[in-house]
Amino acid sequence: MSAFLVLTRKELSAALLSPIAYTVAAVFLLVLGYTFSLSLFATKVANLQYIFHQIYVLSILLTPVLTMRAFAEERRADTLELLLTAPVAEVWIVLSKYVSLLAVMLVIYALSGVYAGVLAWVGEPDWGPILVGYGSLALLASLLVAIGVLASSLTENQVIAAALSMGLFLMLWFADSVAPLLPGPLEPLALNLSLIGHFKPLVTGSVFLSDAMYFISGSLLALWLASRRLADR
Amino acid sequence: MTASSPAPLAVSALGVSKSYGPVAALADVNLTIKPGEIVCLLGPNGSGKTTLIRLLAGFLSPSAGSLQVAGFDVQRQPMLARQCTGYAPESAPVYRHMRVGEFLAFMARLRQVPAREVKAAVDRVAEQLALTDKLQAPLPTLSRGYRQRVCIAQALVHSPKLLILDEPSNGLDPRQIIEMRHLIRSLAGHYTVLMSSHILSEVAKTADRVVVLLGGRLKGERRVSADDTDLEDWFLSLA
Repeated sequence: MSAFLVLTRKELSAALLSPIAYTVAAVFLLVLGYTFSLSLFATKVANLQYIFHQIYVLSILLTPVLTMRAFAEERRADTLELLLTAPVAEVWIVLSKYVSLLAVMLVIYALSGVYAGVLAWVGEPDWGPILVGYGSLALLASLLVAIGVLASSLTENQVIAAALSMGLFLMLWFADSVAPLLPGPLEPLALNLSLIGHFKPLVTGSVFLSDAMYFISGSLLALWLASRRLADR
Repeated sequence: MTASSPAPLAVSALGVSKSYGPVAALADVNLTIKPGEIVCLLGPNGSGKTTLIRLLAGFLSPSAGSLQVAGFDVQRQPMLARQCTGYAPESAPVYRHMRVGEFLAFMARLRQVPAREVKAAVDRVAEQLALTDKLQAPLPTLSRGYRQRVCIAQALVHSPKLLILDEPSNGLDPRQIIEMRHLIRSLAGHYTVLMSSHILSEVAKTADRVVVLLGGRLKGERRVSADDTDLEDWFLSLA
């Protein structure tokens, strides 16, 4: 456990000293501010539904940029040799990267709370759906970061890691569109794998345990696979 | 282990093989190293030196055979074996966002040095490797020679029983090579050292014993000294 804390601290300091997190946050808030202004002036409705969907799209586009370095950079710089020859189980190395990157994502999401503040200033928003929406985004971030860490564990090339995780995100996003084309038992499987199919009910306030479990179990599976990948040498 | 039982071998490798698909990087290697020895793996590039070193450090798993460090099985007791091992890879990797002292403290904590002893451990290895005045230096600003020292310091920071150095003179200029030789010799008696090299003249001046690897096989071994005159002929006879 202490090794986990030592590693997490190292990962957080690396993230905070790198321009990547700040660039991702700046792009995220810039695009979000633009769409928030448009939706607020167009609809004059005090809710963040539209913003949450924008965050979903932006997360799929920007998470790979954050996670691509996780293991790919350690492999490229040979520092992975230092980590894997220290008396630390692989699972703690994976978890430390996951927790620190998830923390960065959640901070970026939290910065978008300024838009909720604007809504409270100009109107009377219903805080229930907004809080549920942010909870849904936390689950989404967990799955995307876990898959991004897994993709990064497979290669020493950051661009390949980013492309791989983006490809996996898009395949999960559009799984329900492909479902009707698939034969027999594969159709319900594809429907159940659909990212948007599980995110949309949550973010619109229809909280089902099955949707939450999709994100939690998907995160755990990706992290386990990343640990196995590190242990397989 | 009782008080009267002998200290375990620092390294014991029995029938160790490592294959990458159809390619055998190491085949049936047997090697023992006594505590306090400085042993050098000698061989050309691709002879299996780094593979054997990575197997002992726990970075790779053997395809066959067993490896022990200080009596701990590297496969079955990996955490205990790694706790007894300090490893400096050939490329001298460091975290570029850290300063020297910060990096050494990080590696000490990672290698389970108790929190209240970390500073003392960092100061000790910094003094040992003449890094005291570099502790506040950002790692990217260091020369290759100093980076190599930092990498050896991180391998020593938890006072391991076995120090593994992969090509410690690689990429150094002549003056730095001499300094590195003196540095490794200064560790004699304090640590068991397993190093690799492909520079014959350096090996004789640094190691107590030389083990020759060729094509992934152990071809021979002998004791050496700084005034060894026929090491070259002996090596050529093996090759």
